[in-house]
Amino acid sequence: MTRTRRSIGAAVAAMALVAVAATQHAGASAEDVTLSYFTFSAAPDHLEDLDSIVAAFEAEHPNVQVEVQTAAYADYFTSLQTQIAGGSAPDTFELNYENFVTYARSGALLDLGSYVGDGIDPARYYPLALEGFTDGGTQYGLPATFSNVVLIYNKTLFDEAGLDYPTAEWTWAEYTAAAETLTDVEAGVYGGFQPVSFFEFYKSLAQAGGVFFDADGNAAFNSPEGVAAAEWLTSKPGTVMPTLADIGGTPDFDTALFTSGKLAMWHNGIWQFAGLNESGVDYDIVVEPGDAQQANAVFMNGAVASAGTDHPDEAALWIAFLTGSPTTVDTRLASSWELPAVSDEEAFAGYLEITPPDNRQAVFDALDHIALPPVIERQQEMQDIVTQALERIVADGADIQEALDEAAAEVDGLTG
Amino acid sequence: MDERSRSWSRTARTVSRYVVMAACAVMLVGPFVWMVLASVKTDADIRRIPPTIWPDPPTGDNYRRVIDTFPFWRFAANSLGVAVASTTLQLVTASMAAYAFARIQFRGRNVLFALYLATMMIPLQVVIVPLFIEMRNLGLVDSYAALLLPTIVSSFGVFLLRQAFLALPRELDEAAFIDGAGHFTVFARILLPLIAPVIAAFAVFAFMATWNSFLWPLVITQASDRHVTLPVGLARLNGRFSTDWNVIMAGSVMTIVPIVAFYLLTQRWVIRSVAFSGLKG
Repeated sequence: MTRTRRSIGAAVAAMALVAVAATQHAGASAEDVTLSYFTFSAAPDHLEDLDSIVAAFEAEHPNVQVEVQTAAYADYFTSLQTQIAGGSAPDTFELNYENFVTYARSGALLDLGSYVGDGIDPARYYPLALEGFTDGGTQYGLPATFSNVVLIYNKTLFDEAGLDYPTAEWTWAEYTAAAETLTDVEAGVYGGFQPVSFFEFYKSLAQAGGVFFDADGNAAFNSPEGVAAAEWLTSKPGTVMPTLADIGGTPDFDTALFTSGKLAMWHNGIWQFAGLNESGVDYDIVVEPGDAQQANAVFMNGAVASAGTDHPDEAALWIAFLTGSPTTVDTRLASSWELPAVSDEEAFAGYLEITPPDNRQAVFDALDHIALPPVIERQQEMQDIVTQALERIVADGADIQEALDEAAAEVDGLTG
Repeated sequence: MDERSRSWSRTARTVSRYVVMAACAVMLVGPFVWMVLASVKTDADIRRIPPTIWPDPPTGDNYRRVIDTFPFWRFAANSLGVAVASTTLQLVTASMAAYAFARIQFRGRNVLFALYLATMMIPLQVVIVPLFIEMRNLGLVDSYAALLLPTIVSSFGVFLLRQAFLALPRELDEAAFIDGAGHFTVFARILLPLIAPVIAAFAVFAFMATWNSFLWPLVITQASDRHVTLPVGLARLNGRFSTDWNVIMAGSVMTIVPIVAFYLLTQRWVIRSVAFSGLKG
């Protein structure tokens, strides 16, 4: 947070400048231009919000028209890859942080360097988020949104068990003790729910004080800290949370469990708030417990321009507007879309006042200790290797050290 | 005594047969019933644990949301238009090619036919990028033509109809040729009417395949909403982190209604064709 606070003054001042600067980039031509923008985060709930951002942009730039294309996240990359491979990539599109490097290194993205300071105001963004969309020192994208993961807990279940609510000072030990007390398998009530997956593992690894890759870029997650993290994750199914067999194949199993009041603690993201407020469950949130240290997961989406676009100047203007303009920030916050990745505390004031959860400040407190996922070119394969290793430990009782050693060797095979 | 035990065992056999058939019916129809019921459930209702069967209270909101979120009718019209056009064209190309393979002697016929069959083994995923590039070079990306062109020749259809033609006695064509008929007359007026049930069955398969096809419409219609088909539109109802299953189910019900209607209209012929090919087989 300290880093954030320091940059508030600059950011607020910059806010006004962005709009002005955005209209003045010398390269933008006056002829009519149609830009395409491909996104996975708008459909189905935020199409109108995106339309209003587009309308505001077009009002500022009457010669530019933005055509929005949408796809569901699950189908998005199939379509995007075909379009890029087929030589007709959309002018601008959305990428999540984990996939960003793959596209940056494949040469598909426009280098935005010449627009930084001229159309793009770097002070407008969270420094860490802005840095996330660079590769080898080149700015290939702008951070658009972030969502993070917190510990969501059911206050009623804690009250009934006579336990104190979780605090930001909790570590794994306090969490485990509470989860065991709260679990009542016969009543179908479970203490905690944390998916056994790559995304939970890299974060738990950081919480245990370990690193995923060492300084030389070799997989280092088979360390004692990695074993601790894997043990923390794999010990839960079948004890304080349902077995993987129970969960398997049921979509949104955890959401259903929590909203029906049968889950005490849930590691999940801030995108759940709207649904939780509808469900009527009495809940609050807190920063996730760490172990050796705190570490929180952040999902970031960015906007990029295609290297082959015919209109690079307009494309840069549009993604700067899409990610940083006051219109965008207000629209995203008002519709509880994902949070804009701008460093602008004033804009977030209204967001913080919405309850529940009462402790909404935890969303920002979590940003003090961020663990970004390790990212390599063959990202998806790496994620699968780690997730499968963890599942082997749970399902087949594989030895944790051996499973991690094998996974580390496989990941080295991907990067080497 | 003997008589009575025989009638008892007959009753037992009937009862057990009905039990097995009822169990099969429940297994087959169950998911559809669940889909329809889920499509009229509220958000809270569908997330309840343990899951409930009957919607309480039932709601029509999900259907309204499907229609409000996307240009649903446009997508439906696209789907219907493409499916009808594609089915018609597939019938024309497949029946003519099948006639040629079954009745006309020409050099390389068997090699060509084997090549046709071989294309059935290549999954779409393998050729999708080259196909996309081809469409781009033709300037057809995001057009009805691009949606339609790759689907209008079906090697499966050629195979199916060729087998049907082969099952017809050659004496029929010979008699017609003696009367002065040409190939086209024999094809259109003599043989085609005789394989009508197989044609109807293939029409159902072709219609269903086009109606449900996903991957190709997904990549080729992406540039705008103009040519998007229902399954692609429907997939956009999936959120990244969570999905409103009741809305998806409402969309699914709306998507399968035309298929069910088409099947009900043609089922007489489909069943006859299965019986027909069974007898001849």
